[in-house]
Amino acid sequence: MSLLSVQGLSVAIRGDDGVLHELVSAVSFDIAAGETMGLVGESGCGKSLTAMSILDLLPKPQALRSAGTLSFKGESISSASPRRLREIRGKNIAVIFQDPMTALNPVQTVSQQISEVLAIHFPEQSKKCRADRVLSLLHEVGIPAPQERLSAYPHQLSGGMRQRVMIAMALACEPDLLIADEPTTALDVTIQAQIVRLLKGLQAKNGMAMLFITHDLALVSQVSDKIAVMYAGKIAEYGSAQQVFAKPHHPYTQSLLAALPGAHHPPKSPLLALEGQVPAIQDMPKGCRFVNRCPHAADICREEIPPQDITTDATVVACHRWKEIAQ
Amino acid sequence: MTGYFVRRFLLIIPTFIGITLLVFAITRVVPGGPIERLMTQIQLGGETGALHRSQGGGTLSDEQLDELKRYYGFDKPMLSSYAIWLKKVVQFDLGLSTRYQDPVWQIIKERFPISIFYGLTTLILTYVVCIPLGLAKGMYHGSALDSWSSAVVFLGYALPSYVIGIALISLFAGYWDIFPLGGFISDNYDDLSTFGKAADIFHHSVLPLIAYLAGSFAVTTLMMKNSLMDNLSSDYMRTATAKGLSRGESVRGHALRNSLIPVATSFGNNISLLLGGSFLIETIFNIDGIGLLGYEAIIERDYPIVMGILVISSLLYLIGNILSDICVALVDPRIRFGGRGAA
Repeated sequence: MSLLSVQGLSVAIRGDDGVLHELVSAVSFDIAAGETMGLVGESGCGKSLTAMSILDLLPKPQALRSAGTLSFKGESISSASPRRLREIRGKNIAVIFQDPMTALNPVQTVSQQISEVLAIHFPEQSKKCRADRVLSLLHEVGIPAPQERLSAYPHQLSGGMRQRVMIAMALACEPDLLIADEPTTALDVTIQAQIVRLLKGLQAKNGMAMLFITHDLALVSQVSDKIAVMYAGKIAEYGSAQQVFAKPHHPYTQSLLAALPGAHHPPKSPLLALEGQVPAIQDMPKGCRFVNRCPHAADICREEIPPQDITTDATVVACHRWKEIAQ
Repeated sequence: MTGYFVRRFLLIIPTFIGITLLVFAITRVVPGGPIERLMTQIQLGGETGALHRSQGGGTLSDEQLDELKRYYGFDKPMLSSYAIWLKKVVQFDLGLSTRYQDPVWQIIKERFPISIFYGLTTLILTYVVCIPLGLAKGMYHGSALDSWSSAVVFLGYALPSYVIGIALISLFAGYWDIFPLGGFISDNYDDLSTFGKAADIFHHSVLPLIAYLAGSFAVTTLMMKNSLMDNLSSDYMRTATAKGLSRGESVRGHALRNSLIPVATSFGNNISLLLGGSFLIETIFNIDGIGLLGYEAIIERDYPIVMGILVISSLLYLIGNILSDICVALVDPRIRFGGRGAA
C-alpha cells in the first residue's frame, strides 16, 4: 500500500470576478514509504499548488481544493477534520519551503522555532529533552557550532544555514513524508548540492518518503525514484525516473530533456528552447493543453483530452499520439 | 547598543538648543510683543491699574521704555539674552510670567496633573483599544465586526474633536444632564472621600476623554490591522501552519510580535500627546490644562510661559523618540543600534 495516494486532485483559484479557475486538474500519483517522487514542471504549472494542497496549506480564501481524494496511510486526509490535519502536519508530513529567507519567523530564535514543533506534537516532553533534541537536530543537518546557533535569529544566518534550520524543523518529529517545495531554488549552486546531499542522507537514515518539487531536471534525476512531469496543471508523464529520463514518451518531456544544456554540447552553441508559451488559464485548449507548442499536434489533440495511457515501460503518458511519436 | 543610546541622549542637547533658539528668535521678531502691547494699552488709556509703571494716559517716556526693555530683557542682543535664558533653564529656572508675575514653573506645575491625567489616560486607552481591535479586524477581515468598527473609527477620525466635544456637551450635559458641563473637579472636591474623589474625576472626565479619543483610534487601529494582515499572508505563517499550529496559536505565537513593530515605532510620537492637550477641547470643557495655557500665552505674548512649555514639550518629544527606538529594538531582534557594521 502506498504511503500517500493522490487521486484526481484539482485545485482552483477564485479570480477577482469570483469565477473559479482550475489551475491543477485531475492530478494523480502515489508515493510509497521511503520513496522519492520528483514533481517537475516549469514555473506556474501548478506543482507547488499540488504540494500545498496535500496539507491544505493553500493560500486562503483564494485557492481551494476543488476535487480529488488524498489518503495517507490509508486514512483519507482530504476529508479529515482540521484537528486531525493539525496532528498530521509537522508530525507525519512535514514541509520545507522554497525561500528560507522568509519562511522562518524573523523575531524568534532558531531554537524557539525548532522546539515549537516538538512542543506541539510531544507536549509531554520535558524542556531539557526538547533542548537536547534541537541541538542534535542542528548537528544532524550539518550546522557548524550548533550550540552557538541556538540563540541566533534567522537574519544572522546565511540562506543555506536557514534552509538547514528549516530541514531540522521539518525532521524534528521524524515524519513519514517530507514535502520539499523547491528547497534549493533560492540557494546558490554549491549550497544546492550540499542541501540535496543532506536530504538524501537524512532520507536514507530515517527511511522517510519525499515529494521533491523542482523545475530543475538535472536535480530531479539525481534524487528521484519516480517522476511526474507537470504541464499547465496536468500530469503529462509519470513513471519511474529511470524510464522517463531514458525514454520519454510525451513530447513535452522530450523537448524538456532536449533543452537541457549538457556538457557534451560545443561551447556557445545556441540553447534549445521550447517555442511558444503556456496558454493563459482563461483560454486553455479544449483538448490537450500542450497542443499549441507540440511539434506533433494533430486534429484530435485540439478536440479531445488525451487519456492517461500506460506505456510499454509502465509509465503513464497523457498523449494521443505517443505511440506514433515513438516510432 | 548602550553606546548608541548614550549618543542619542547626548544629541538631545544640540537639538534642544536648536529648537529653543529658533522659537526664541521668533519671539523677538514677531510684532505685538509685551512692550508694544503695554504701549497700546497706555495709549488707549485702557485698564492700567494693574500696571504700576504707567502714569495713566499719554505715552511712555524714553527712560520708561528703556526700563521696560530691561525688565523684559529686550535691551541686550538676542544671542546674549538667549544665553541668559538658557543659563537659567539649566538651573531649572524658567523665569517669571509677564502676565501673572508668578514663576513659570509654578504655573505649569499647577496644570501638570490635569494634562498628565488626560494625556496618560488617552495614551493607555488608545493602545488598550487599538491593539486588540486591530488584531480582531485583521483576523476577521471583511466580517461585520470589521466593517462596523471601521465605520465608527473613521467617523470619529473625520469629525473634528471640538465638534464631538460640543455635541457631547449639548447632549449629555445640556439636554440629558448626565455629566457636568465642564471643569476637572467639583467645587466640593476636598470634602469627598477617596472613592468619591475618584468618582468625581471620572464623572468630569468622561466627555472630554471621548472627545480626545474619538479621533485617536483610527490611525493606530488601522496600522495594527494592516500590519497583522501583511504578516498573516507571510511565508513564516505558512510554516507555522505546516508545523501543526492552529490559526489562533500561530497568530499569537508568530504574527503578533511581528505586527507590533510598526505600532512600536509610532509610540514615540504618541508619547508627546502626554502633554499636548488640545486647547479646543480644554476650552470647550473648561479644563485648565497645558494646552489652554500655551494658547493663551501665545495670544497674550507671555513669552516666558511659551518658552517654558516649549522646553518641556520638546524634551518630552526628544525622549519619546528615543523611547520608541528602544521599544522597536525590544520587539524586533533585527534592529541592533550602534555597533560597527551592524544593521
